[in-house]
Amino acid sequence: MDASILSKLLGSLAISIALLAIPVQGQQLAPTAQQTIEKMLTEPQDIGLDTAAPGTRWNGLTTNQGNATEVHTLNGMLELAARSNPTILQAQYQITGQLAKAQQAGLYPNPMIAYIAENIGVEGTAGEWQGAELEQRFVTAGKLQLSRDKYLQRAKVAEHLAVAQQFRVCNDVRIHYFKTLAAQQILDLQKELLKTAEDDLATTREMFNAGQANQVDLHRANSELRRQQLSVLQAENRIRREFLQLSSLVGMELAFLPLSGDLRTASDLIDYDTVAQRVLSQSPEILAAHSKLREDQITINRESVEWVPDVIVGGGVGRNFEANDTTGALSVRMELPIYDRNQGTYRQAQADYVRQQKEILRTEMDLKMRLAMQYETYLTAAQHVLTYEEMVLPQLKQAYATSLQGYKEDRLAWPHVLHSYRDYTLRRIEYTEQLLARRTSEVLINGFLLHGGLNPAPGATPPGHLDATPNPR
Amino acid sequence: MERETSPRRQFIKSGMLAAASLAAGTTLSAQESVDPEEAATPQAGPITSPPVSDGTKKSPVRDEYDGFSRFKPSRGNDPDSDYYLGKLVPGFRTTEEGPAPFIAPDLEKLPYVMKDGAKQFELVAQNVRREFLPGYEMDVWGYNGSMPGPTIEVTQGDRVRIIVHNELPEPTTVHWHGFELPVQQDGSMTLTQNPIMPGKSYVYEFDIHEEGTFFYHSHVAMQEAFGMVGWFIVHPKKVFDPPVDRDFGLLFQNFHIKANQTISNSWSMDWNWHTINGRSGPFTTPLVVKHGERVRIRLLDFSPMQHHPIHLHGHTFWLTGREGARTPKSAWIPRNTELVGVAQAAEFEFIANNPGDWMFHCHMVHHMMNHMVEQVGPRIREGSNVDAYMTNLDQRPPVDMKHSEGFATPGYPQGMQGMQMSEKFMKAIWSRREVQGMRATWPKSVHGLMTLLRVLPDDLYQQVMETDDVPKGAIFEEIVQRFGTPETYQKAPLMKMGH
Ligand SMILES: [Cu+2]
Repeated sequence: MDASILSKLLGSLAISIALLAIPVQGQQLAPTAQQTIEKMLTEPQDIGLDTAAPGTRWNGLTTNQGNATEVHTLNGMLELAARSNPTILQAQYQITGQLAKAQQAGLYPNPMIAYIAENIGVEGTAGEWQGAELEQRFVTAGKLQLSRDKYLQRAKVAEHLAVAQQFRVCNDVRIHYFKTLAAQQILDLQKELLKTAEDDLATTREMFNAGQANQVDLHRANSELRRQQLSVLQAENRIRREFLQLSSLVGMELAFLPLSGDLRTASDLIDYDTVAQRVLSQSPEILAAHSKLREDQITINRESVEWVPDVIVGGGVGRNFEANDTTGALSVRMELPIYDRNQGTYRQAQADYVRQQKEILRTEMDLKMRLAMQYETYLTAAQHVLTYEEMVLPQLKQAYATSLQGYKEDRLAWPHVLHSYRDYTLRRIEYTEQLLARRTSEVLINGFLLHGGLNPAPGATPPGHLDATPNPR
Repeated sequence: MERETSPRRQFIKSGMLAAASLAAGTTLSAQESVDPEEAATPQAGPITSPPVSDGTKKSPVRDEYDGFSRFKPSRGNDPDSDYYLGKLVPGFRTTEEGPAPFIAPDLEKLPYVMKDGAKQFELVAQNVRREFLPGYEMDVWGYNGSMPGPTIEVTQGDRVRIIVHNELPEPTTVHWHGFELPVQQDGSMTLTQNPIMPGKSYVYEFDIHEEGTFFYHSHVAMQEAFGMVGWFIVHPKKVFDPPVDRDFGLLFQNFHIKANQTISNSWSMDWNWHTINGRSGPFTTPLVVKHGERVRIRLLDFSPMQHHPIHLHGHTFWLTGREGARTPKSAWIPRNTELVGVAQAAEFEFIANNPGDWMFHCHMVHHMMNHMVEQVGPRIREGSNVDAYMTNLDQRPPVDMKHSEGFATPGYPQGMQGMQMSEKFMKAIWSRREVQGMRATWPKSVHGLMTLLRVLPDDLYQQVMETDDVPKGAIFEEIVQRFGTPETYQKAPLMKMGH
């Protein structure tokens, strides 16, 4: 390649570079190119709830919004539970069982009939004596009546316990109704926070575009939005769980509908001394324990007469083939209470009586303990509710309104407004939780602290009952 | 000294009434009725009547001096000429008429009585409410119901006695800034005197041998930050030549006042409210002068920590003095912008040879606004506004994540959206005589440390200052007709608000 060609080539290359350079220069004068990492951070993305933890949402969650007139009510739920909760029926059967025992325990013993052939073949006869004999046990000292009384008394215990079971179920239905109601409200409030988190991201993008925020702020706002989306999902999960638990307590499958009602309560503040007195005097558990003590007294009475021997009288008519005469037979028998005077069972019954006295005391103490705990929860919640209603929420609402006004007048930056609204909404969630706590403890305090509406209905004898019976079966 | 409570109270009351009429009415008429005592006293000092242009009077005043015209933008022929840029071009007023009256728009003058051969003034240090903007009443500190305090105006050679009453909840002293006075009168707290305790009074008395632009202020730093300052103008015994027709005073201050707050945070390093003579643009009262007049503007920066580059549109002014003394003519400097530092004063003189409405402002961008707020949120979003949020405080509207138009341009939006001006606000802005006939949209452009210089031909001046109900835009359009290019002029869209 000679030099002239080379120089021509170089020359044309230079020209083409120069030609290329013109449009390059033109581009440099154009507005800033947009393909930057910041651009990607500020692009609107699909930030809807469906993009948070995709594929893991609790299905069938949505309430029947199209048919808004259909709602669940608390009274409806209570009626359903009274019919369908299995433990209420179980408690009924506990009464029936005790009544049946009473019936059985009072039945008079059946007579015995016997055919007797004695000394068959004596002297070539058919027997010295062949005949029929009837034997009857005569129960003494009113044992049967006492036994019947004892089990009738147990039926009364079972009645008190059935009342307690009804309280357990109704209290639980109420509590879970309010829990579901609170979950509904909290979901709404979490959605308010979600809108604010979305606004925070939008605002951060706007500030980024004006140079007032940087990539750090954008990353933070993106992650905050995700966190808030998770909070909404959590609230959805909670409402679903509460509703399913409520449905279980009612004892049947319920359609997923919104609940109507108010978490607030119109009742006055509960006075501790008044309610303590009421619980200790009227709690079905206390009444059952007292009933049980009466039963134990009857048991003592019953066992105190156990040693009195029954008289067993037998008699009959037969043929003495030896004498070839019709003769009669008579026997009277009774136990001689020399060794077994039922003294052990008597002592057992006495011990159970004293044990039951302590059971009453234990029940009282247990109620006091539970009441103390509930009253603390109640009082704390009531104080919060009152103060949130009177001061905290109005002040935060006013702070939000004032910040909005400041923003409207162009004197306050938008992030301040977002902060005010977030604050106000977070406190509203706390308020809802406190309303729920107050409602729950109010239900428990007014309902003799009974809950556990799906625990098996208890029997008429408390744990540790010694069950002294004259003739254990 | 014992305080004479009741007469002084009476004075303050009438002073405040005068302040109210000042806010509602015109500067000139208010100036005339500013002080009942002064009117009753034969010793009423500085002239307060406006200059009168009397065609019949013989005057040395010409239209043109060595190529410089007092009636059209011009420089003259020779930078070394006495008349270059109007340097020594006299006003219409003669030196024999005495100094032109000092006018600090939106401020009053402090009256005095002659007693024992001295001009006796009374200053009451107290907390004050000042309406920075219509509807924005701020709690500041000042004197005699005013922030800045009322103007003390005397003549070189006077003896002054100033009785200071302290109605503040803490001690104070008053410093007479710039005066070469006996040290006992200096007002330096604890250095030269005991503090004036709350409820007590103190008497300052001294002879004034200097002339120039002075001021008085509290010598407690935080009290200064709260606005405790006032003009102390000393007119020269021998009137300066060339004589001026107008002598204005503009006192610049900064405050930091949060939204939904009326009290300034004197600890702040940041300053978001700016006042000229205690008012913020567009509530500052324009300086209105006649075409061809020689104008002096004295400018004092009493901001706590901010210096201000002051810029005048449409004119080149001579810097004829700083607060120390009048500058010899040989050292005068022509300027468009002059940096005025904290506690400094500057004196500008120029011939108003360019008719129109001219901006006069600090050039720091944050000082050309009333408060800086990030322009994000519903205000800049399409289809979104704050009222939607205010209708239901328990539920907020959803946010549209789509960007507004213009977002593709980095930096969008940089324009401040401006504060919402209510009808009442606009009414107050337009209620001043000095703004009659300006373009309907003018309040949108004047904020913070901004005011206006209006240069008007005699007849238009007369219309603005002496007649009522001049339509919006009328005066400006007339100036365009006479001095501009009317064929290209576009009227301002009439703003919905206003009167
Ligand atoms: Cu400035």
